Amino acid sequence: MTQRTNVVLLAALITATAGAQDVNVYGTTMAQMWKQDVPGFDKTSYAPATQFLGIDATKLGTEALSLHLFGWGRVDLGEATSMGKKSDGNLTYGYLQYRFAEANAEIKAGRFAINQGAGMEQVDGISARTDLKHGFVVSFFAGKPVIYKSQDPADQRNYEFQHDVIFGGRVGWRLSRMGEVGVSYLQDGSTAAKDLPIASIVDYSRRQVGADIHFVPIAAIDFTGRTIWDVAHHAEPLSGTAPSRIAEHDYTMLVKIAPLFSMTGDFTERNFQAYYAGTNMPSLFRPDERGKHRGYGGKILLGSAASLLVTADFRSTNRDSFGEANRFGGDVRWTGMDSKLQAGFGAHRVTTQNVLKVDRQVPSYSLSHREIRAWVMYETGRYSASLDGIHQSFDDQHNPNLNGKKAQSELVASLGARLTPSVKVSGDLTYGDNPFFKKDVRALLRAEYRFSLARKGGK
Amino acid sequence: MNRRIALLSFAITLGLGVLTACGMVSTEKSFAAVHPQELGAGRPSCSVCHEDELKGSGKTYAAFNHSSTFVKDHKVQAGQDANVCATCHSQSFCADCHAGKTVMKPSTKLGGRPDRATPHPGNYLTMHRIEGKIDPSSCFKCHGRANNDKCTSCHR
Ligand code: HEC
Ligand code: HEC
Ligand code: HEC
Ligand code: HEC
Ligand code: HEC
Repeated sequence: MTQRTNVVLLAALITATAGAQDVNVYGTTMAQMWKQDVPGFDKTSYAPATQFLGIDATKLGTEALSLHLFGWGRVDLGEATSMGKKSDGNLTYGYLQYRFAEANAEIKAGRFAINQGAGMEQVDGISARTDLKHGFVVSFFAGKPVIYKSQDPADQRNYEFQHDVIFGGRVGWRLSRMGEVGVSYLQDGSTAAKDLPIASIVDYSRRQVGADIHFVPIAAIDFTGRTIWDVAHHAEPLSGTAPSRIAEHDYTMLVKIAPLFSMTGDFTERNFQAYYAGTNMPSLFRPDERGKHRGYGGKILLGSAASLLVTADFRSTNRDSFGEANRFGGDVRWTGMDSKLQAGFGAHRVTTQNVLKVDRQVPSYSLSHREIRAWVMYETGRYSASLDGIHQSFDDQHNPNLNGKKAQSELVASLGARLTPSVKVSGDLTYGDNPFFKKDVRALLRAEYRFSLARKGGK
Repeated sequence: MNRRIALLSFAITLGLGVLTACGMVSTEKSFAAVHPQELGAGRPSCSVCHEDELKGSGKTYAAFNHSSTFVKDHKVQAGQDANVCATCHSQSFCADCHAGKTVMKPSTKLGGRPDRATPHPGNYLTMHRIEGKIDPSSCFKCHGRANNDKCTSCHR
């Protein structure tokens, strides 16, 4: 969609709210300030002002029709915070929704996010879902994918050309007290890279089939997961075997052994060529990276989130082109004084294989490190205060990305006051010590507000 | 707009119409559009107030308890039960962590909420060079197809 149709659509949508019975406007206004003092560069001051704004207007003429808008804008009062641009903004979503009285059926039209199978997609288009008889459920969507910045003008042209259409659907089946299984399809772009006027090696289009499961046969077991296959056409490799078509396996099993004791285990596998299909950043998420990522892990949870929860966790990952990494540690989370006071503490150790570099100065370096985090938060109806500290120490300061530093830390202190039930102001002060800046101090002021006529429920 | 999209949109509407005409659509009442009860602060445990099965979902309410495992692994449930999530969460809640294009790290926006499970707290420009190297595929779901203005100054 062009900028102009966006503006016209937005204006039309906002005008439509005039007929609404319940209008709920919410927003966050933020002013940030920090100075950057990088050794060898001039000091620069940044002062961006950011506005997030959302509108939910319900009962537009009929009970069933509603409108939902959300977006943000930013103006830099100091130096530009992003790539030479002093202002920026985005309409995150803006759609009309019709909700039927039966079958949880609904239709959405406009810009919205879809996550009904593989991935989370921003779409300008239309979507529909409904429950069917005998436990079936279907959903479909179609439209134009929201386009973002790519690398350089030539890539951007190919990327936009290939992103002409996105559509997909999912069929699920639910069995009472057993859970749900589903299959989904997603297609992004109608021309493959080989069909471009000038064939390109980078393919911005993708076709995926997904299968998902949530199996809860008894209260003590909760099993979720999904597998995604890449079903697009790819040229046969010139040598060797073709990489796996399985983009992703990701499964987690939770077993509640006793009311205050449970364990989880998980497994992931991602094959890069299949998983990275359709990326707009192929220089980073390289579809030509042969090989895969594999990870497995587990957790032991003791206690309850309502008072004291102790977690011990372990995770091992392996990326073919890099090697193995193991992460283990624990977290403690405590809630007390009628949930007014909360605190958390976590400590983790990560051990990795070395990064091998063809460089005489640093032939190889380790990524092993430790991380400690501690926070406390106090919140009454009227006032809030929090302190959040994180410290990371690195085994190998020869890592060229650390500028010779052995550790970094950051502390965030925040104070807030609720002025009226619908207006809250707060301020955060961040102090950081890291490899980049001589001194990293940031201030943030925040006003959150919500004006609503009749909405209840969560956030 | 492009013809193909118009055709696809028409097909979706038609599909819904056919399902209804053939009497295949469920006749159960839809559940409340907005969660009828205001909830207190923090992650809710549904089974404190609800027993039994969440009508038509195939799952008990307890399967939606916001335990630390649920919060970390919400992806499958978000896909299967998006309409349940929508009774309490507007899409803007998800957009704090999942937006194609946003201005700041979730941990900056929610600076006064260390209890929230925001990705990459602390100075991530340093840490990401380590975590991204260990497993870039874990970053792909949020960064792989999004706006990457911020990343291209170093990654091109
Ligand atoms: C506090 C941050 C946060 C919020 C809020 C949040 N998520 Fe997530 N979400 C994550 C993280 C982190 C992951 C990656 C988890 C993993 O490693 O599997 C994720 C993964 C997902 C995925 C899987 C994406 C993919 O392609 O693999 C979906 C879908 C998703 N979230 C949907 C939602 C929805 C819907 C909401 C709102 C109801 C939401 N999320 C709110 C942090 C968040
Ligand atoms: C503080 C108590 C409380 C908590 C906690 C709570 N609910 Fe509810 N919920 C209610 C009440 C009261 C109703 C309205 C009566 C009813 O339908 O049971 C309701 C209604 C609902 C409905 C609409 C049912 C219908 O048929 O219209 C859904 C869906 C729902 N809750 C889901 C959840 C989920 C999921 C959670 C956990 C994330 C949750 N609730 C947590 C109290 C609560
Ligand atoms: C009954 C209301 C209700 C329902 C239904 C519900 N949630 Fe939540 N959810 C909440 C509340 C309340 C919070 C806490 C928000 C806060 O701390 O500010 C929350 C928090 C979360 C968080 C963030 C946790 C964190 O610490 O950052 C995620 C992610 C999330 N919900 C995902 C989902 C998904 C996915 C679904 C649907 C499967 C869902 N929720 C359904 C009420 C609900
Ligand atoms: C749940 C979604 C999510 C996941 C998973 C995620 N990120 Fe992010 N990340 C964000 C959001 C949102 C921002 C803020 C918006 C932006 O800067 O584009 C961000 C910002 C960043 C930044 C900029 C930080 C700064 O200080 O400006 C870097 C670097 C980054 N992410 C790298 C990564 C890497 C590497 C991974 C994987 C190890 C990862 N991210 C995983 C959501 C995510
Ligand atoms: C200030 C410069 C800078 C910015 C900005 C930056 N990165 Fe990086 N990134 C690096 C450096 C340096 C490395 C380490 C490269 C290495 O060791 O090979 C790295 C590594 C990575 C890796 C691991 C790559 C691999 O295959 O091993 C990922 C993933 C990554 N960055 C994601 C991001 C994302 C996503 C963003 C934007 C949100 C971002 N980066 C912004 C400098 C940056």
